[in-house]
Amino acid sequence: MSAVIEALYVYDEQNNCILEHVYHARPPSPKSLLSQFKACPVPRPALLYLSDLSPATTVASVYHSNTLFLCPSGTDQNALTLLEFVHRVIDVFEDFLGPPLLAHKIENNYDIIAQLLGEICDGGAICNTEPNALRENVEVAGLIGKLFTHVGLPGSSPALGASNNLVANLKAGSNPNSGPAIPWRRPNVRHTSNELYVDILEDVSVILAPSGRPISAVSSGSIAFTAKVSGIPELVLTLSAPGGSSSSKVTSIFRVMQSPVFHPCVRLARWKERPGELSFVPPDGRFVLAGYEVDLIPSYGGVDAPPSRGEKLFMPAMVDLRTGLGEKGSDFEVRLTLNTEFPGAYTSSKPRAPGTSTPSFSFGGSSSGSSNAPTLEAVVVSIPLPAGVRRLENLRPSRGEAMFQQFAQSVQWKVPTKDGASVSGTAVLSGTVIGPLHAGDVEDEDEDAETSNSMTTNPLLGYYDEDSASIPGKPSAPVASKGSKVASAKDKILSAAQQKAAQATKALMPRSVNLSFTVRGWLPSGIRVDSLIIDTRKSRGLGENVKPFKGVKYMTVSRKGIERRG
Amino acid sequence: MESISRISSMLENARDLTIEAAQSANAGRSSKSGSSSRSIPFTQLQKLLDSRNDRDILEGLRKVVSMIYQGKPCLPYFSSVVKNVANPNIEVKKLVYIYLLHYAESDPDLALLSVNAIQKSLTDQNPQVRAMALRTMSGMRVPVISQIVSLAIKRGCADMSPHVRKASALAIPKCYRLDPNTLPQLLECLSILLGDKQYFVVGPAVSAFLELCPDRIDLIHKHYRELVRKLVDMDEWSQLATLQLLMHYSRRCFPRQTKRVTKVEGKGFYSDEPGEEVDTGEQAVVLDPDLELLLRACKPLLQSRNSAVIISVVSCFLYLGTSEYLKDAVGPLIALLRAPSDIQQVALYNIVSTALISPPLFVPYASRFLIHSTDPPNVWRLKLELLTIIFPHCGLHQKSIIVSELEHFAQGTSLDLIRESVRAIGRCAQADPRTSTRCFKVLLKQISENPNNTLLVSEALTVIRHLIQQDPTSHKETVIRLAKNLDMTTSAEARASIIWLVGEYAGVEPENNIAPDVLRILASAFADESEPAKQQILLLAAKVYLHYLNNNSNSQPSPNLEQEQEQEPAVKYYHQQQQQHSQKEKDTHPISLLYNYIHLLTRYDTSYDLRDRARTFKALLSNPHSTQLASLLLLAPKPVPSAPSPSETRKGLMLGSMTLVFGREVAGPAGVRGYGEGELPAWVEEGQQPDGRLRDVHVDLDTADKGSLLAGAGGQGKGGGGQAVG
Repeated sequence: MSAVIEALYVYDEQNNCILEHVYHARPPSPKSLLSQFKACPVPRPALLYLSDLSPATTVASVYHSNTLFLCPSGTDQNALTLLEFVHRVIDVFEDFLGPPLLAHKIENNYDIIAQLLGEICDGGAICNTEPNALRENVEVAGLIGKLFTHVGLPGSSPALGASNNLVANLKAGSNPNSGPAIPWRRPNVRHTSNELYVDILEDVSVILAPSGRPISAVSSGSIAFTAKVSGIPELVLTLSAPGGSSSSKVTSIFRVMQSPVFHPCVRLARWKERPGELSFVPPDGRFVLAGYEVDLIPSYGGVDAPPSRGEKLFMPAMVDLRTGLGEKGSDFEVRLTLNTEFPGAYTSSKPRAPGTSTPSFSFGGSSSGSSNAPTLEAVVVSIPLPAGVRRLENLRPSRGEAMFQQFAQSVQWKVPTKDGASVSGTAVLSGTVIGPLHAGDVEDEDEDAETSNSMTTNPLLGYYDEDSASIPGKPSAPVASKGSKVASAKDKILSAAQQKAAQATKALMPRSVNLSFTVRGWLPSGIRVDSLIIDTRKSRGLGENVKPFKGVKYMTVSRKGIERRG
Repeated sequence: MESISRISSMLENARDLTIEAAQSANAGRSSKSGSSSRSIPFTQLQKLLDSRNDRDILEGLRKVVSMIYQGKPCLPYFSSVVKNVANPNIEVKKLVYIYLLHYAESDPDLALLSVNAIQKSLTDQNPQVRAMALRTMSGMRVPVISQIVSLAIKRGCADMSPHVRKASALAIPKCYRLDPNTLPQLLECLSILLGDKQYFVVGPAVSAFLELCPDRIDLIHKHYRELVRKLVDMDEWSQLATLQLLMHYSRRCFPRQTKRVTKVEGKGFYSDEPGEEVDTGEQAVVLDPDLELLLRACKPLLQSRNSAVIISVVSCFLYLGTSEYLKDAVGPLIALLRAPSDIQQVALYNIVSTALISPPLFVPYASRFLIHSTDPPNVWRLKLELLTIIFPHCGLHQKSIIVSELEHFAQGTSLDLIRESVRAIGRCAQADPRTSTRCFKVLLKQISENPNNTLLVSEALTVIRHLIQQDPTSHKETVIRLAKNLDMTTSAEARASIIWLVGEYAGVEPENNIAPDVLRILASAFADESEPAKQQILLLAAKVYLHYLNNNSNSQPSPNLEQEQEQEPAVKYYHQQQQQHSQKEKDTHPISLLYNYIHLLTRYDTSYDLRDRARTFKALLSNPHSTQLASLLLLAPKPVPSAPSPSETRKGLMLGSMTLVFGREVAGPAGVRGYGEGELPAWVEEGQQPDGRLRDVHVDLDTADKGSLLAGAGGQGKGGGGQAVG
């Protein structure tokens, strides 16, 4: 039972099958597969078991830009193999056809696609998914040839003249009887301008408790690498992480970068020996060199006490949600705090307490965001609202614009940071929820709303709390801290009608807010590229005195990643 | 690892995909109408294919290939295309081969004509051409040529170029599918290729082995160590196949051996004082050195960018190794959560499955399992489960975070999420008695604060009921609290649930029980109750009445006992008195009055179901002196309900398999088709395993007894090199 790919189908937005390639056996037709697939309720899982098909078929699905990739399988096998295969095929297609991969690009380049599909998988067995190795065997002509010239390569023009001979000559240069020395790098790479780029991207995901304390903060990083260097370069990329003295730098990167995964080109032994050093011969072009994750609030399982460093999480922006405000308890307020002490010099080991200085901060909208002056962009707060909310009233953002999107049942609040003007470090959005029409008879219940509100904020409060004294040490610190107000009215029993109204309003309150942003020039983990060295002694084919241009870029994104519970 | 396409889209300035799509669609349309590629007339294309100029032929072929994928009929061009198969230009060849692979099956006779030319290419100077020819020939689904293909494979095995050898390894399963009779020849080739020096030849050979003859482990013995060594260098797809093979091999060749753990104790102050060896009574697994070789070789694969490889390594450690190995794999396993969401979903099933086996290893990663509001349902469902699985092993701080989180989601708006969160709280309380009070409080608070949220309340009550039933003695107070809460509870289901609980507890502490009191209060508003609540009130009335009867009759011995036992007159007298007293009191005692009142009410109720029930109880309890049957019916001890983790049903399913993702409920009792083949065999019994010396490379088939080696060494006996160490 080794992995067998039966077929690959690609559909466009109109559900037309634009690509059908059968590798093995007799999988269901694209049409019947799609109709069964669409019959499943959304959101559809990535892996579906279609028992109505005969024979019953499992299908792996991946959406990419405006296309849908389906990969059926009639037998049980490693489920992730199918998904990884589809992702790899998408990568290869983008590499050959240029990003983004759109339906019409596939339609216009069937001759290339046909060759690629034939090379990637043979009779159902996946055999070659390295774009560089595929370049060896797949001829590209016409439009795509431009790409080659773009990267400084002799493209094979439609005229099979001199240039094509050149390609043939180049190939003849490598010894045909030995295997490829480096399976991921094609031989005889030539570039007129030699360039190397490192892009480190971190995707943050933080969950904040109602008290504002982070209960989960993970940043998952990827190192994308672009190599446009002739010959076979030997590269050493050295990374470092903040914390510790220079002597313990090695250990700090080892501690910060958790569960790293690497492109096959990276020498694992070297990494193990000297963490932080990536030694590799890169593939030609763009690829993901490594992936890692960073726990921004390292937790120690089994320890009963909350982490002491938990509060020092540093983020360029934070949100706060307060609900049940106003006379009727139907108002809410979202407070966005843009960190006024954005770390131009984050490398300083002492994290500063955020929000202590005067709230004036200039967002440099002009620069592209170097690590000296990171820029915060695309700040969007989204507030998902319960299904009962009919509309919002008095939606007042102190900055930017906010819109209630009925379809998505959420408020999108865009806060501009590019105006360059000095702005207040906090921005506030307030609004009132209006529920269904029949729930309008809310009357005179200021006090009750207050009561119910305090009840929501104090999890230990309830009519059952008489027993709480008899359980020693149960309510631990963070729980106690969650209750900001001490409920004085705990024995108050609300009359049924009032309570019902309060309940109805409470049920309409947003439960959480999500914050999205992009920061150029800053990483929450503090990981930096110390150096990128070309080992000229071991490298081959990189002419004399060639000094490739090197570029490093840091970027942090949060895709609704910062979540504040209300 | 994220794919480069996703990273790029995040790194570059957000491109407006729709605009780009629209632009390119326009461009595409114009090129469509502009160029003749779409609607080229038959004759013209034919002419291009028949041309003498390579450039024209190539253009024609490109168009034909495009037409294949557009779903247009291309069979008419068959002869014109196939004619070009002998063209020396490699690009022409490629496209012709693509065409052949598509259409050979529809027209085998014409395809046969091309075989000769392809055969010629098998001896071409260029290895690329040879490999391509081999691939095409084996890929044509024309069974007649199976012998030729198997010959070509044999020849390919001995080729100088590893690319050709790889192509022949890939051709083996295809040839087998064409004609299974070629198996003997193919096996010969396979055993050669399994020992190839090039790792990228071995990978496809392993895949072929798995498809052709997964049971012939005798072919693997001498390659075992070499395969393990090459594992790191292989490409990810070969690693997957090889891991699969080696796992099966290990299960069948290395018996599970354990030894008693001894600990040196009582070490004296001076180091030369000998310590005392103490048997700790634990069993430790002893690994065969060859098995350890594999496990150690797997470790670097945990840094693979391919999630399938990581899952394979985890299953390798789980099914073959020890917990120390598994510990190393947990981090990389959880790191799969940062993958694209489709991979994340599938990976979560595997994480849950592994966590069920050894939850403590997952505790440090608890914060990764907290739910984001953007998670799709199948993700948060599994994350919730993970939280409850690790809950009993967490520290107090984490526990309180988990409970708070569950509480937060229990008040959410998604019905499914509420239900699952409340159930999760229940599972937490069950798993860890020390925190059950906290969980209990949370549940009760949910009920008291959200009496209108019908779903939440009824779900919470069900969970509370389960918890109470598991430990009835310590929850007396709870029932009282719940009963107090009846005033505020409006949901019919919830009221019914509470009333039932009160009824269950009616027998505890007869002097100081709230049940009659609750019944009294309920009776006053009986008419306004919903039907389920009415039914429960009736039941409660019956139970209370029964307890009342039982208590009265308990204090007076039954007639049987009286006959058997000689009793003192004084006692007898007392009992008589009592009996008379109770007889007199019977009709006036509040409980019997209440009972009768409820009966009266139900008798004239509109629901026939309720009237029927009332009649049943009336008949049951008609005779105050024989309550045995009624006790059996009404006071029977209820079985303790258990709410296992939802994935418990998936226990034992093979990690990484599709059946694990779907579960047996969806995929059927036998799992997804072919599930059994992937399942690992049981550990070989000690003494039944093949001789360990077979894996020594220098042991030749000639020196050892050939027959017994091939038979899988059933009775080979003990004392193999690997085993002796154990």
